Amino acid sequence: MCKLVSRWLLPALACAVLALCASVPLAAQQVTVHGTVVTEQNDPLPGAAVSVEGTTAMTTSNAEGAFSIAAPSDTATLVVSYAGYTTAHVPLGGHTSVVVKMQAATQLEGLVVVGYGTQKAKDVTGSVATVSSDKMEDRGATTVEQALEGTVPGVSITTGGGGAEPNMSIMIRGQNSLTASNSPLIVVDGIPYEGSISEINQNDVQSISVLKDASATAIYGSRGSNGVVLITTKKGRGAPSFGYSGYAGMQQITNVPRLMNGAEFAQFKCDRVNGGENCDDALTATELDNLNAGRSTDWVGLGMHTGYQQQHNLSFSGSAQGIQYYIGGSLLDVSGVAKNDKFDRYTLRANVNSGYSSWLTMGTNTQMSYTDRGGLPVDFTDAFFMNPLTNAYNDDGTLTITPWPEDLVWANPLQNLLVKNDDVTRRVFTSNFIQLDAPFLPGLSYRLNAGLDYAAGKVGTYYGRNTKTGYDTQGYASTQDNTRFDWTVENLLKYDRTFGKSHVDLTGLYSFQGNNVDEDHLTSQGFPNDVLTYYQANLAALVTPSYVVSHSGLISQMARLNYDYDSRYLLTLTARRDGYSGFGASNKYGVFPSVAVGWNLSNEAFWPKASWWNLLKLRASYGQNGNQAIPPYRTLARLSDDSYIANGQTAPGFIPSTLGTPDLKWETTTSLNLGADFGLLNNRLSGSLDVYSSKTHDLLVKRTISPVHGITSIYDNVGELQNRGVELNLSSLNVNGRDFGWTTDFNIAANRNKIVSLYGDTTSDVGSGWFIGHPIDVLYDYKFAGIWQEGDDIADSAQPDAHPGDVKIVDLNGDGKINPDDRTFLGSLYPDYTANMTNTFRYKNFSLSGLFQTVQGVERENGLLGMNLVQTGVRRNTIYRTYWTPDNPSNTVPRNSDKSNPLSVPFLQDASFIRLKDVTLSYDLPASLTNRLGTESLRVYVSGRNLWTHTAWTGMDPEFTNGNQRGIPLQRVLIGGVNVQF
Amino acid sequence: MTMTRTIKRWVGFGLLGAVGLGLAGCTDGLLDENPPNVIVADNLYTSLDGFRDGLNALYAQARLERDGMSGTNDIRTEMMNMGTDNAFSLYPAGFEHVWNDWGTYNNPQVDFYLDTWTWMYRMINAANTIVHRADNPDIQWTDAQKNEVLAEARFFRAWCYRHLTYLWGPVPLNLEESSGASVKTDWTRAPVADVRKQMEQDLLFAEQYLPDMPEVPGRLSKAVAEHYLAELYLAMDEPQKAEVEAKKVTESGNYHLITQRYGVNANQPGVPFMDMFQDGNVDRDQGNTEAIWVFKYQINTPGGGQSIMRRSWVGRYYSLKGVQVAPEYGGRGIGRIGITPWAIDLYEPQDDRGSIYAIRKFYLYNNAANLPKGKELGDTLWLDWSKAKEKDPGWPSTRKWDWTDPLDPTGEEQYEDQAYVRLAETYLLLAEAQMKNGELADAAATINKLRDRAGASEITPDQVTMDFILDERSRELLTEEERRYTLVRTHTLLERVQKYNPLAAATIQPRDTVFPIPQAVIDANIGAKMEQNPGY
Repeated sequence: MCKLVSRWLLPALACAVLALCASVPLAAQQVTVHGTVVTEQNDPLPGAAVSVEGTTAMTTSNAEGAFSIAAPSDTATLVVSYAGYTTAHVPLGGHTSVVVKMQAATQLEGLVVVGYGTQKAKDVTGSVATVSSDKMEDRGATTVEQALEGTVPGVSITTGGGGAEPNMSIMIRGQNSLTASNSPLIVVDGIPYEGSISEINQNDVQSISVLKDASATAIYGSRGSNGVVLITTKKGRGAPSFGYSGYAGMQQITNVPRLMNGAEFAQFKCDRVNGGENCDDALTATELDNLNAGRSTDWVGLGMHTGYQQQHNLSFSGSAQGIQYYIGGSLLDVSGVAKNDKFDRYTLRANVNSGYSSWLTMGTNTQMSYTDRGGLPVDFTDAFFMNPLTNAYNDDGTLTITPWPEDLVWANPLQNLLVKNDDVTRRVFTSNFIQLDAPFLPGLSYRLNAGLDYAAGKVGTYYGRNTKTGYDTQGYASTQDNTRFDWTVENLLKYDRTFGKSHVDLTGLYSFQGNNVDEDHLTSQGFPNDVLTYYQANLAALVTPSYVVSHSGLISQMARLNYDYDSRYLLTLTARRDGYSGFGASNKYGVFPSVAVGWNLSNEAFWPKASWWNLLKLRASYGQNGNQAIPPYRTLARLSDDSYIANGQTAPGFIPSTLGTPDLKWETTTSLNLGADFGLLNNRLSGSLDVYSSKTHDLLVKRTISPVHGITSIYDNVGELQNRGVELNLSSLNVNGRDFGWTTDFNIAANRNKIVSLYGDTTSDVGSGWFIGHPIDVLYDYKFAGIWQEGDDIADSAQPDAHPGDVKIVDLNGDGKINPDDRTFLGSLYPDYTANMTNTFRYKNFSLSGLFQTVQGVERENGLLGMNLVQTGVRRNTIYRTYWTPDNPSNTVPRNSDKSNPLSVPFLQDASFIRLKDVTLSYDLPASLTNRLGTESLRVYVSGRNLWTHTAWTGMDPEFTNGNQRGIPLQRVLIGGVNVQF
Repeated sequence: MTMTRTIKRWVGFGLLGAVGLGLAGCTDGLLDENPPNVIVADNLYTSLDGFRDGLNALYAQARLERDGMSGTNDIRTEMMNMGTDNAFSLYPAGFEHVWNDWGTYNNPQVDFYLDTWTWMYRMINAANTIVHRADNPDIQWTDAQKNEVLAEARFFRAWCYRHLTYLWGPVPLNLEESSGASVKTDWTRAPVADVRKQMEQDLLFAEQYLPDMPEVPGRLSKAVAEHYLAELYLAMDEPQKAEVEAKKVTESGNYHLITQRYGVNANQPGVPFMDMFQDGNVDRDQGNTEAIWVFKYQINTPGGGQSIMRRSWVGRYYSLKGVQVAPEYGGRGIGRIGITPWAIDLYEPQDDRGSIYAIRKFYLYNNAANLPKGKELGDTLWLDWSKAKEKDPGWPSTRKWDWTDPLDPTGEEQYEDQAYVRLAETYLLLAEAQMKNGELADAAATINKLRDRAGASEITPDQVTMDFILDERSRELLTEEERRYTLVRTHTLLERVQKYNPLAAATIQPRDTVFPIPQAVIDANIGAKMEQNPGY
């Protein structure tokens, strides 16, 4: 049955929806209404969407703001909407000619996507932030994450590393989980989305809603504890419109730590190996040759170039006769700052909604994409480490296989330029629905959503004999066939009705979902020649296949009641029950309830009209969410293969490798959110303030257990964790003149987390690195106390075998020796606060916008400062520093020796930063010009990303993960672009 | 019209509802887990074949002793033989300073110690799992088959506790299969005597049920258990029992010392002693009558393993001017370990075991590209080992592990079979037992078997002392034996390091004769305090 559904029924349903969308129903035409749409300043507003309530008729206003539309009678109501303005409902009242004056919207008006439906912002009780496409466009972004960056408080989007394909992660309101995932659930057009977000064209996105508190996320129950990001793609509206948007520009590196050059390296090596004497003896022949010839290889420099990126989008959209359509195609082409680092993406999107009649609508939102990640970028870690006194090229200009003939371990860091690597993913992500209104009860409707996500990835890599890898193995090939097949079916019953001043919105859900990842991997080596690259496993001396299989399922029921009385008193009740295949047989299901209330004080009669404080809403929510985010099959005790040989043949072997946890269950987060939305001075200043406190219990953890078990970790549910925080969001219309305007959007967020309990008592788990009363991630190690100086009484100290110039350690317990009892908490891995500020200046048709981003109060280990990175005998390069000597009695940098820090005491640095994340200058051609060009609107802009960073961090980038401090550098992007609508 | 629309609406609603609910059929079994690619204990240990698979993994794990702890670096024997009287750290990297410097470097947070500990308990858990699951009455096998499986599993368990007790002294005695339902946080260290009692039982069981000769080369035989029983009884100070066990091997008639040239390269210049280290000569089916337990390797074969003995023991001669990597020099080493000058000089001039065929003491210039002034290709470069120091590229090295892949002459790994236990060591255990039992003449005769084979002069009974036996062990088993274990067992580690290891003599302290319990083991034991060894 299931196979039948997944293989045939869902695709068939998708096709049926598409087919039905194309069938054209007709509406009766009785009167034609003519009108004009204008702004508060009576300027014409072109491009506004005009429709007639209760019909499917739709049009858009032209360049003069004028429109005409057919209405069933002269008593119908027009609905006029335009991004950034409050949607106007205009009863015709017998007229067939109208002027519609649009009012600029504040955050609290307009619709908000809240999951399984939309709500008016002023009626929302939970903590939900929305970002519309106009805040995201023109930023030179390549992905949704980049577009979302800096726009929502409490949502930290971290650039963990460099590269053509952005390496970013999203975290909402701090870390809720010890070892389970902390990534939010991503929902695209109603369907949960797994895998790379970078495969979505960010230019197709209409709006993004971020659900932050328990009430808002409770509808996603088990998936919601890390927050939910709802991505809604564009819909067509108005007259047919053809649009092009595109940009092109370049990528440059921002910062690379200063490495030693050849001469400095030689001196360093001589100092370390030979104590600064007989320097020629310390060097191998190749090193000496290069040093004497004054040659130095800048490996990092050789691996970099100026990259470029360009994106082109074509769209055709509109609505006619009840069909709304948006067809978009895009091309993204990025070449990163590392040579051979490429990311190409082609997408085609078809979003079509059709009303068969007033009671039956259906639609599809479908993206097909082709993503090409082919080509292995130059390995920057290798380039960072490579000896500068070795040779990148042979005399004939080809790359050397091993640049250092006396030390053959080292491959040429540029060898990836010679590797054949193809890596493509073809993917269809489609979300489809049919909705019909019940014939027997007004306000009752039923909706069937069906989502399919099919991705096929193919990766082939071949290292020929011109690379060290291929030389050592006589050719090395690896191929992968990866498929993802996810499906979602949702049955939604909705009852939405107004009784007098009461409004009831009841939603019921029954859904099920399957996620299936299947991968076939094959590595092979030892080939007769390099001609057939990775198509010759049949000729290999050694072939090793392996497989990845991960299948999981989720069954859910949910009910939600939204009730409001007179838009003054608001109530939301939600409960969701989820079953997940990855949990123990008796613990598959969990129930997650929540309640939220809201009070629009400014809608009360007692609230003074026309006061300077024009809007105030108070919100409170309390509820539970789950986290299931552990891989499947963790309840089983598994074995891994570990084979031997018998008579020269493989003798299969298996050894216990994981412990099963048959009772594994949901991790549950209970949270309280208090919030206020406000508007002052007729919404010149508006914003929201939220405080929250959450506790997560039964944490899904991978805890460290005693190695005496023969296995060192186990998945388990333990303990309790607390998160508390505050978020403030402000929007200010500082100047609002006819020619000049200035707005400021500012947000700031702070979060504190600590472990409350672990195993039922107050015992910390040093082995796992978890300490009661401390944040989840701590650095627990010896504390740096400076450098031992000549004349210090070392012999009688806690480090009697230290030398002057060695790292001094704090003897925490004063017992006269340094042992693990002297470890303590170091640094601060979580920021005190994060903040973002966007200022937008408008002068006539020019607009200038800039985003500053700051993270403050982070202190962590800078791994580039390690003393033994160069390895014994100095075989690798490291950053340039001035070391301790008797004449240079530094108290921060030890002497140049691999014995100066025997206990590897970490070197901490402040990783706080302020960054000018992006700046955009744009110009909208005036109507007089666009008319002459025959376009509806035309905008040109220039934009830059990562333009300036202020930090004390001396590594690659304060935001990068430790592993990427030696990776591809962060890139500065400068682009120019154009948006045009015909 | 209105009527038709209403009907259509009802029909539509009904149809859609039916589809939606029909899809619910898809949820059958959606929440059940049946991974098709995962082996679990419950479906593996159900037949003799399954148990054999479990045992194969134990062989593979034991073979790791001669592989790197991290890839092809940090050979796992380091804790077993470095920083002793006959081995020092020639090119120390990272924690390896410990072998020359001890002091701060010998601390509980050395990852290598933890990795060694974890490796041993991983094997113990694998063996416990086999022992535990063999009780399942549903398995179709004969008692003989079952007992042989148990014998191999219990042998490996004893083998692991041997490593653990020599390295750390008292250690937790875990004899149960680990399960997620019974995670312990209050392990305690069992006295060494208790652990040895268990090892004795396991080895006696193994002796009883292991075959006289393995069915497949490389598997365990009775003699392996007897060999280790002999050593265990010496450690337990029961030399009479030790003598009995050792003689079971030496007098079985199954094993004989190699005294004549044989096998591959027999027509090349050389000595009989070194023939058994040549690829093609190592195992019994290749003519090595001395081999008791051989680690099997096979290049380009899943499960074929790899060893880094040559990489660890052969020096960086290619850093000398005028010399480059060559198969005749054994291949490419990185000289992590050096033989102490005392051990190099321990041989009489005519002793094959110290000859140029066994220890490389010179190179012929073979690199025209950077010959030193006045030298020509083929000129001899004699090495100087009068003073041991770190980072000396011209240091003598053993030739027991010379091996290169002709397709990859500078490769890191090696894939020839290697004898792990051989008869010569059993003789030395026997001699030790005989000496302790006061049978000095017998002990001298036993030792002379080895000395005769190597061409060394015979000794007289009055020369037999513990010191002499320890010297003889170094002469015979250089780079093969777990030297530290021998010295710990005979309580001579501190004294002999101070006497014969010039780099570590000044730094080693009494506490260094037993390693610190890895801090991760102490940290994870949150239910009870696990005592650290004294002095750390």
